[in-house]
Amino acid sequence: MDGVVGFRRGFWAMAPLWLGVVPFALVYAVLARDTGLSLLETQALSALVFAGSAQVSAVGLFGSGAAALEIVSTTFLLNVRHVLYGLSLGRRIPLSRRQRPMAAYFLTDEAFGVVAGSGERTFAFLLGAELSLFAMWNLATLGGAIAGSAITDPAELGIDLVFPLAFLALLVPLVRTRVELLVAVASGATAYVAAKGLPGGLPILLTGVVGSLLGAALTSGRPGEDVDVENAVREVA
Amino acid sequence: MTFWLTVAGMVAVTFGSRYAGLALRFELPDFWVRCLHFVPIAVFAALVTPSLEGGLGEGEIRVAAACVTGIAAWRTRNLGIAIASGMLAFWALRWVSP
Repeated sequence: MDGVVGFRRGFWAMAPLWLGVVPFALVYAVLARDTGLSLLETQALSALVFAGSAQVSAVGLFGSGAAALEIVSTTFLLNVRHVLYGLSLGRRIPLSRRQRPMAAYFLTDEAFGVVAGSGERTFAFLLGAELSLFAMWNLATLGGAIAGSAITDPAELGIDLVFPLAFLALLVPLVRTRVELLVAVASGATAYVAAKGLPGGLPILLTGVVGSLLGAALTSGRPGEDVDVENAVREVA
Repeated sequence: MTFWLTVAGMVAVTFGSRYAGLALRFELPDFWVRCLHFVPIAVFAALVTPSLEGGLGEGEIRVAAACVTGIAAWRTRNLGIAIASGMLAFWALRWVSP
């Protein structure tokens, strides 16, 4: 019984973030359809991978004819931050062996942010928050995928510009310190130059590794947990 | 077929990252925690610049549109508003430029 109450509280605690997620899912779905993915393929990425930035970048890479290995590696780079969320949540919430895979499958920046910000410490609350976002992400994907197929000439409209704009809009809130700004600018420049000579997803992989090593080398100590929570919440807002 | 194999790989690395932190009780060295912190910044930046200019000789107005998105993202912190204002600026500039 407590479980149901906790689940509901988690579900509704996520509701304010739906506003941020719906446009992102629409953008993803329209770009996916524009790239030539079928309705089923577009929806499958949302249901199975369930990671916005990785889905959008994968769609861009599918469009540029990148190799599967490059797409999977880029996905890994984009999602490896979840290790941090898991480490933090694992300390906050007691999870049984059977609950862990489910908590992990639906884990997102947003769910981590909501749970960390709420002070709730139950699996039910976590799952409620996670599934709330999962449901909305998939519904909006479906809506966007259907609407996206109605756009007859995406190239003529310049819809492909949505791709870099979306990542710029995701990047800006993450940059607050001088080192973060330096890493962002250096990474942007590196990728721009690398893309002139290297195919597909390689410039992104190279830049992801070089940029994050640069950032780690230029800072010291351990980023506080508060900073991570703040980041996770800001990323979606 | 390649598509579904790619998706399987994406699921594996994504679920793996999400599960690893929850399942393992280890302390990452500080250097790698900082490294993980900078990964999204580096990767997001790398996803912006190569595709910004586009192939239709509209580089200038696309960069101008990106500036609008950047400012909107900074002021509002709202993804939908940031993207929409950049696209509207792009279409408006396209319309007025000869």
